[in-house]
Amino acid sequence: MKTTLEAESAGFAYEPGRPVFTGVDASVSAGEVVGLVGPNGSGKSTLLRVMCGLLRPLSGTVKLDGRRLGSYKSNERARRLAFLPQAVNPAFALSVFEVVCLGRYPHMGAFGTLRPHDREAAERVMRDTEIEHLRARDFLTLSGGERQRVLVASILAQEPQILLLDEPTSALDVHHQIEVFSLLDRLARRGEGGYGILVVTHDLNLAARFCDRILLLGRNQAMLAQGPHANVMTESLLSQAYGAPIRVSRHPETGAPLVWAEAPEQPAETGSRPAKAGERPSRRRGLR
Amino acid sequence: MRRSAIASLIAVSAGMVALSLVVGTEQIDLGQAWREWREGLPPEQAPMLGIILNQRLPRTLAALIVGCGLALAGAAFQAMLRNPLAEPYTLGVASAGAFGAWTATVLIGAYGLPGLLLGLPTVQLLAFLFAEADIIVVYLLAAHRDRVSPSVLLLGGITMGMLANGGILFMRYVADPNRIVMMDRWLMGGVDVLGYRPVLTLLAGVAPCAVILLAQAPKYDQLGFGTELAAGRGVNVRLLTGVTFAVGSLMTAVAVSVVGTIAFVGLIVPHIVRSITGSRHRLLLPVSAVAGGGFLCFCDIIARKILPGETPIGIVTTLLGGPFFLYLLLRRRFTDWDA
Repeated sequence: MKTTLEAESAGFAYEPGRPVFTGVDASVSAGEVVGLVGPNGSGKSTLLRVMCGLLRPLSGTVKLDGRRLGSYKSNERARRLAFLPQAVNPAFALSVFEVVCLGRYPHMGAFGTLRPHDREAAERVMRDTEIEHLRARDFLTLSGGERQRVLVASILAQEPQILLLDEPTSALDVHHQIEVFSLLDRLARRGEGGYGILVVTHDLNLAARFCDRILLLGRNQAMLAQGPHANVMTESLLSQAYGAPIRVSRHPETGAPLVWAEAPEQPAETGSRPAKAGERPSRRRGLR
Repeated sequence: MRRSAIASLIAVSAGMVALSLVVGTEQIDLGQAWREWREGLPPEQAPMLGIILNQRLPRTLAALIVGCGLALAGAAFQAMLRNPLAEPYTLGVASAGAFGAWTATVLIGAYGLPGLLLGLPTVQLLAFLFAEADIIVVYLLAAHRDRVSPSVLLLGGITMGMLANGGILFMRYVADPNRIVMMDRWLMGGVDVLGYRPVLTLLAGVAPCAVILLAQAPKYDQLGFGTELAAGRGVNVRLLTGVTFAVGSLMTAVAVSVVGTIAFVGLIVPHIVRSITGSRHRLLLPVSAVAGGGFLCFCDIIARKILPGETPIGIVTTLLGGPFFLYLLLRRRFTDWDA
């Protein structure tokens, strides 16, 4: 049976009376890539943390394979679910191999000894993510794209079935964004051992291109829509979610949806004012 | 290469411990001490052996235990707070502990506070409570949700340290003048303990704490990449924070209450050791402990033999540690941690 992680009418609030979201249904199963999108402050990252057990839902439940997530021991949970937060900054220098081996933590005994099968698992995920040539490098000296691949390898070393990633491409250039998403795509579609991947992203175009399903969180603390991108990536749904005019057309070559935002109307008197130092000139900005 | 560097570090530390038994104001004739030992002479006919067993050995053991404890507490705080400048002294723990010990001493002297509270020596108990209070205040100042600001932490720690020093000055002002000389001497830190009682106190306070901190090593490794990644892998970050702070401050407080404030050991030692062992705490923590013991014996040798007339060891570590702290600030290796 495929491993499934699902939130059922889950709600969460950091402060009482101010819910981040309520009544949200979401799920991810082994073998699929699910994109979690929505405007800033819609609670994407919070939902991700609730679904990986870092935050306890205030209402509703999160279940892993039909069992309440909170009933798993923390290392049991970490052997099934792996979470990669946004912007990971290491405090101390470690080699790439050491970083990958950190992912073996949920499998280790109390003394943190690496056994032969831990090393084998580390080697395997380094092959899967194509970072073997980096093994002896200091993690701090890697480029952004390389770091992200190493971090993905380190969570794969937990040998989970489900990966939860919070904006894994937010600090990367166009090429490395595609590289990371292609890697996720490959990891999900490995037949038998394919991972289930839930990824938070701001990049609607990447989400449309690589995700089997899209979850769209709106500004009203609720899930606005979910399903294949054709159903979710519509001008009306997106404009409603972002509270601003969003346009959708077709990519001329891939045929995938191409999403961009209209620039807000400039009030007449500020439009002619020369930009002061330190002020960003206004311009039409697409959603990449 | 790394192995041989670690081996030499441990050998040097052991050498320092051995040297500390032999070097001092009184010249030790090892041959004579050996003869005295072999012939099983009574104490009054065995002056050399007497000096070694009654003065040098407890003093060396005190330096060893305190050095281990302070270095280990420093390494653990640094791992916990992801900051290489964190240590019992820069976080104000040592000064607060000293303030607690002064307060206890004054209260016992002037107001008849019993020397034992809840079965524990009052001086140690108050040193511990003040040290814990300091770490709690500093942590609350710097923590916001699940992030800890390194700069607020250091500023808070240094400020709390200054407050504690103000408190110490006040206690000094109201204290019985006859006790001031002794307490001043203690404030400068000194491992010149008499007999084995203080050594046993140190051992009883530091050893269990050391075992607890050493057992957290794999978790500290996880924290190196942030609390969320660690939590996602099943580390109970809140529990780890509590244990580290409670145990690290307890260890420091016990050390401070026996030998006075000895600054910067927890800063210098883990930093040097990390450059040799790398950042895996399974290696870093135990090697730091060993090197800390050796380092404090080394400082004690300097204090006893090189500087004039039995200089307090706290002065030596401060004069070594202050410039080292400045050097770390200049290198700015930690700026990217401020983010």
